[in-house]
Amino acid sequence: MGRFILKRLALLPFVLFGVTALLFCVLQFLSPEMRAALYVKDPRQLSSLEAVIDKYGLRKPVYVQYGVWLKQLAHGQLGYSETAKMPVVDAIKEFFPATFELTCVSFLPILLLGVYFGTLSAVYKDKLLDQLTRFIAITGYSLPSFVLGLLLLMLFYGKFHWFPPGRYGLDTDLLVHGDSFRHVTGLLTLDTLLNGDWAAFLDVLKHLVLPAATLIYIELALLLRITRSSMLEELGKDYVRTAKAKGLPGSMVVRKHALRNAMIPVVTLSSLLFIMLLGGVVITETVFDFPGIGRWGVEAAQQLDIPGVLGSTLLAAGLFVLANLASDVLYAFVDPRIRLE
Amino acid sequence: MRPLYPLVCLLMAFSRPALAQVKNPDTMTELTIADADTLDAAWQYDTGSAEAILNIYEPLFWFKGSSLTKLVPLLASKVPSRANGLISRDGRVYTIPIRKAVHFQDGSLMTPEDVRYSLMRFMLQDRDGGPASLLLQPLVGYNSTRDASGKLKPNAYRDAARAVQVKGDAVVLRLPKPYAPLLSILAQWGLVVSRSWAAQHGDWDGSEATWQKFNNPEKQATAFYEQADGTGPFKLERWDRANHEIVLERFDDYWRGPAKLKRAIIKSVPEFGTRKLLLQAGDADVIYASELQYKEVAGLPGVRIIENQSSVEMNPVVYFTFKINPVGNPYIGSGRLDGDGIPPDFFSDKNVRLGFADSMDYAGFIRDVLRGHGTQATGCIPVTLPGHNPRQKTFHLDLAAAKEHFQKAWDGKVWKEGFRFTILYNQGNNEREVIAEILKRNVEGLNPKFHVDVRPVEWPQFLDGYNASKLPIFTMGWHADYPDPHDFAFPNMHSQGSYPLAQHYSNPKADRLIDEAIASTKAARRRKLYFELQRIEHEDCPHLLIVDAVHFRTQRDWVRGWTNMPIFPDDPYGSYFYQLWKAPAAKRERR
Repeated sequence: MGRFILKRLALLPFVLFGVTALLFCVLQFLSPEMRAALYVKDPRQLSSLEAVIDKYGLRKPVYVQYGVWLKQLAHGQLGYSETAKMPVVDAIKEFFPATFELTCVSFLPILLLGVYFGTLSAVYKDKLLDQLTRFIAITGYSLPSFVLGLLLLMLFYGKFHWFPPGRYGLDTDLLVHGDSFRHVTGLLTLDTLLNGDWAAFLDVLKHLVLPAATLIYIELALLLRITRSSMLEELGKDYVRTAKAKGLPGSMVVRKHALRNAMIPVVTLSSLLFIMLLGGVVITETVFDFPGIGRWGVEAAQQLDIPGVLGSTLLAAGLFVLANLASDVLYAFVDPRIRLE
Repeated sequence: MRPLYPLVCLLMAFSRPALAQVKNPDTMTELTIADADTLDAAWQYDTGSAEAILNIYEPLFWFKGSSLTKLVPLLASKVPSRANGLISRDGRVYTIPIRKAVHFQDGSLMTPEDVRYSLMRFMLQDRDGGPASLLLQPLVGYNSTRDASGKLKPNAYRDAARAVQVKGDAVVLRLPKPYAPLLSILAQWGLVVSRSWAAQHGDWDGSEATWQKFNNPEKQATAFYEQADGTGPFKLERWDRANHEIVLERFDDYWRGPAKLKRAIIKSVPEFGTRKLLLQAGDADVIYASELQYKEVAGLPGVRIIENQSSVEMNPVVYFTFKINPVGNPYIGSGRLDGDGIPPDFFSDKNVRLGFADSMDYAGFIRDVLRGHGTQATGCIPVTLPGHNPRQKTFHLDLAAAKEHFQKAWDGKVWKEGFRFTILYNQGNNEREVIAEILKRNVEGLNPKFHVDVRPVEWPQFLDGYNASKLPIFTMGWHADYPDPHDFAFPNMHSQGSYPLAQHYSNPKADRLIDEAIASTKAARRRKLYFELQRIEHEDCPHLLIVDAVHFRTQRDWVRGWTNMPIFPDDPYGSYFYQLWKAPAAKRERR
């Protein structure tokens, strides 16, 4: 197992290199004028377009530009992101913890609710509970996240004033930027607790409720349906019938036998879901004015902020490789017949 | 009910009482759509940065109330004029007495030397695509400190030093030739920074030996990029780039007395729905809402809309490209006048341009899209500026006249063969989209052989086409750098202006009029020259001017003290926080 993990980790730099090289080549198909749009945003600057192209070396050959970027990488830098208005490394440090926090708060409920109700839905196929979960799944999957997000915001913030958008309120804003506040993990729920400020902790939590609820409702659908179909397949198999015939209680047949075997596609989907959430959920972040990595990545792509695009892509690719690795390892635990070696 | 009980308790714990009368009474929160680019007064050329900067730094003069022509002294103690003898008879020497006992936010005293340093730094930093030419042109007579190949001009420092000198308690400016809008430019761009603070923080020390090192720097390399030390009413508390917000804190030792507000926050929230909800809940005090969002904010409880605020802009304007670049150009079809494209010089025929001009529904656009908030533009000089001619002849929707022009165009070939081309607009700009659709509908209705495609593109693609002169028609706009007719006449009508260069439009008579007007300091003469220029503009029709727009401001009804300053960045959405405070309706008149 250890050898397998090390081997996969050793491949990581090559994957990242390949991703950035490919991305760089694709971006070079865009004209220097298009890439200069990042620096020329106002009609008053239009007459300086050529000078801007020269200044940032946008007409230089691809390999020269890529070489410059790799040289920065060798020094632990990923360039400067115009959209984040800070070095890419700092941008990742700033935006990723917010997204990670939101992911953590959302993912566990998605996983637990998805597996639980997916299983129940399969067990009580075509009963009221199944119809209800189907309704939840269909509405969740078909409802655009900005619609749900805005509806929740209108109701729970606009009407009741319970859960505001943003990452924190004015008082917490002043607190976390004050000199006495210790930033330990970058995760504000933890940091406010570590600083012993319960009011700030509750405030941060309040700001997480609606984006998390939106993500849970929308992302739950897929996991719920996959669990259900996987469970239905397992419940129809001979070994389940045999177990029931032997007189094992139904709950034990479901939990100990069928569910375990139905977990492989669920693990695959969960890892993908986790990565998708970590990569940033741009619409949710935009609607709730949540300063996560997704909003930055999309802004960078829209404005052709090449260092920003490369930085966020590197992060996403790295996370993808790691999550795949984690799901491969989990397969072995879920189904011991799978041998990683 | 029992399972829901904990949930209800939790929600109750999160809930708070109904809104207090004035939320966060010491803090003003403004939500915009644009992030600041920098806090360096010599680098900034965007409204997002300029708003914060003008709350931290101060110029020598500012405009009196809503006026665009009357100046009041700020860091200067007097506004120079011929009458007070501070402008020489030949209009080339300006003596500006500097106010005493003004302190920077770091506690140091502002001196005339700081003013000199600030103006020199503004000119000599001269980054590509920056605003340095606004002072370089009047003070040293050229637009850049670098030549066409990018090499530094060896005399740039000495030229600037000769132009800006300290004499006792005054700063003396010596111009190569008279430049009428100089004081307006200084009011908007001559922001004063501390020389000693700059040197201490690793920026230019003001010496000739080092200026080259600080010319055309990387944005984030200047000391003023994310730090600030001005004389203005607010100091920078922080620029939180992750949260897209700038937090300003009251400067208690401000020379005009401290601001009423303790704190001001400028935050970018791109999603309108979120901005609106924050305003409704009272967590935001002022928000940006576009013309198309008017109905969404009008009538909201606790929200005040201040309508009909004049602006200094000419936006949108539809420009014709006289010589389209045909190389790899997908927007001109076949590239020939064969019914399936247009030739590169299609718009060089005046009848084609007039055909389009008569096909635009100006009144309908203003009535339906802008809800009547504006009047049809009569020339490139906005109604708010001197030189605007309200009696100038304009175009109006006249499809019979349009038909006549198209029948005459290219000796009748246009009418016989027809044409096809594409109008691009930058995605998300609804007003420009509507204009393109109006032109399409009306022109295509004249002749079934006329085809106009309308396509949205992202800004990079739009810019690419624009720069290569590949766009047959493009819609852009112009916001004032400073409130003077020259700032509109030059970019729109001079052959070396931004738009005529892209259009390949040139009229030597227009160039002469503009060059003469900028050198004249006599208001009546300038007015006459600009009237003539706008007559030529109507005759040549190199572009379609649509509207002299007025805008509205959206704020909570507890916001007090706001007066329109049309030249202030992002006005009327942007805020000069010094004049503002918050008070409930009952205390409206008390201050």
